[in-house]
Amino acid sequence: MKNKIIRKPRQTRVILPEKPKGPLLNIRIRNNLEEKVRQQTDELKIREGQLKLGADREKLGADREKIAEEQIHIRTKAMESTLDGIFIIDAKKADFPIIYANPSFFNLTGYSKSEVMGKSYFLLYGFDANLRIVEEIKQTLHQGKSFHGEMLNFKKNGEKYWCLLRIAPVRNAKGIITHYVGIKTDTSLMKQRDSEIEEQREELLHVTRVGKLAEFVSSLAHEISQPLTAILSYAQAAQRMLKDREPQLREILQYIINDDQRAAEVIRRLRSLLKKNKPTFETLDINTLTNDTVTLIMPHITAKNKVIRLELDSNLITIQGDRIQLQQVLLNLISNSLEAMEDSDSRELLIRTSLKDADTILVQVKDSGCGIPEENKPKLFAHFFTSKPDGLGMGLSISRSIVEAHGGHLEAENNPDRGATFYFTIPIHMKSDR
Amino acid sequence: MSTHGPIIYVVDDDVSICKALSLLLKANKFRVATFTNAEDFLGFKHPKVQSCLVLDIRLPNINGFVLQEVMVQRGIITPIIFITGYGDISMSVKAIKAGAIDFLPKPFTEKSLLNAITLALSESKVLNRKQAGIAKIKQRIDTLSPRELEVFQFVAQGMMNKNIASKRGTSLQTIKVHRGRVMQKMQAKTVTELISLAQKAGITPS
Repeated sequence: MKNKIIRKPRQTRVILPEKPKGPLLNIRIRNNLEEKVRQQTDELKIREGQLKLGADREKLGADREKIAEEQIHIRTKAMESTLDGIFIIDAKKADFPIIYANPSFFNLTGYSKSEVMGKSYFLLYGFDANLRIVEEIKQTLHQGKSFHGEMLNFKKNGEKYWCLLRIAPVRNAKGIITHYVGIKTDTSLMKQRDSEIEEQREELLHVTRVGKLAEFVSSLAHEISQPLTAILSYAQAAQRMLKDREPQLREILQYIINDDQRAAEVIRRLRSLLKKNKPTFETLDINTLTNDTVTLIMPHITAKNKVIRLELDSNLITIQGDRIQLQQVLLNLISNSLEAMEDSDSRELLIRTSLKDADTILVQVKDSGCGIPEENKPKLFAHFFTSKPDGLGMGLSISRSIVEAHGGHLEAENNPDRGATFYFTIPIHMKSDR
Repeated sequence: MSTHGPIIYVVDDDVSICKALSLLLKANKFRVATFTNAEDFLGFKHPKVQSCLVLDIRLPNINGFVLQEVMVQRGIITPIIFITGYGDISMSVKAIKAGAIDFLPKPFTEKSLLNAITLALSESKVLNRKQAGIAKIKQRIDTLSPRELEVFQFVAQGMMNKNIASKRGTSLQTIKVHRGRVMQKMQAKTVTELISLAQKAGITPS
């Protein structure tokens, strides 16, 4: 009983004023009493400590709850604010029902909340969906793996859009997959820009190929027309010398003449077929042109683990030139430089634009590659000259003729330290043709 | 072969073409001189006979167009027929504008070459006659005294006698005497004729 009382500190007061019953008893009682008081005081102290601790704990719990609430709030807000479409699928049900989707998800897909919630995620793909991809996503999820892929999607109204989809499984404490969380990103704009760049690159490559072919045919035509000219003149001279003698020989000479002209006709037709496209001159900013060209070849540069440094003079004046042709020149010089740096540990390629003088723009492409061997220098810009195993020997000769058609010059020199610099000039005021 | 008949120059860096054209033209009774580069042609002493130049555009060092310019500077007067393996319209326009007779894409037939040569030689004849005429006028100018030459230049500019007199600070009478002598020495019957002679000789900037 006493123990019970002591444990309840409020009742101790009832015990304390107990009256003593004799001197001996009194002493004993007093002793007992002191002992009790001491005990109770100790107990009280402990109890007080315990109480204090409990209050702290309670307070801590409340704080924690508040922080957790805030965090949930922030996370929810973040999910609702992001432009990516986020959705959560219940993994315990076989038909992949959506149990959460953020507003961007509705914007992206064109479906309303009521059309989405509780419905199978894959129903949203509609009938136009690529079933192979849908199957691939399901398979991946069934294997407990994350899916990551870019695909063509359709909005509710049938509108197409490119979408980067990532779905990852969410596991509970026991490691069992309870949900899938997915993020959809609209990549249509990026895709469009990529395809525009790709288109430009294709166009440039095509022009370059046609240009190379035309230049090749033109050179070939010249090389062949030389002996054809000699053959024709020899035969006609012989005919003239024979006059009325040797009719049979004269006939043979005529055959030679006819076939010579037949060959000449073939060349003429070939040449007219590949007639060079007349350059179309427009107002151009060399810096913009340089930037555009670098954008086109950037994947190539990155793939080769090289970097391009641009030093573009912002004070340049616009020039009159053919955009495609000048891009072709620049592209050619950059490709050459990259090839020269192929086996080099140096990475940097520098393109610099500047004013050479008041009337001339200078464009330099400086590499840190193998440089130009002395014996190659005189032939560098000649037709059919190449130092590459699979080169045609047309690139630099075409580039030079393009630059010259713009009234400028294309030259090359080795750098004092390493590598070579190819540079061309373009006059700001194009001299009119005589 | 005659030593004063028309002469055809051929400049082409392709030896075979030089040889073939030489044979062809000789078979057509022309005198022929061939060169494989522009420098050799410029170094050649050109006789003052009817002539024309069959000129390839692509040549080492000095190309056909540049040679055309150098010839004008050096007073080598012979009509040019351009030949080229690169048949290019803009190029031919450029050549004709600069005074070429014709522009033949390779390979060309004997007929088209001979047609062009006939045209070029008749042009050469006119040019030579003009040259000869100028030489004759220059000979007459050489007989003028310095003062007469001065009066000749003033008259050629269309100045009146009194203006010349005041400019020279001499009397009108003196000018008239000089002028009479100029007319006599230049073999001109009228002032108009005198001015025309001056123009032909390049005395006045007309």
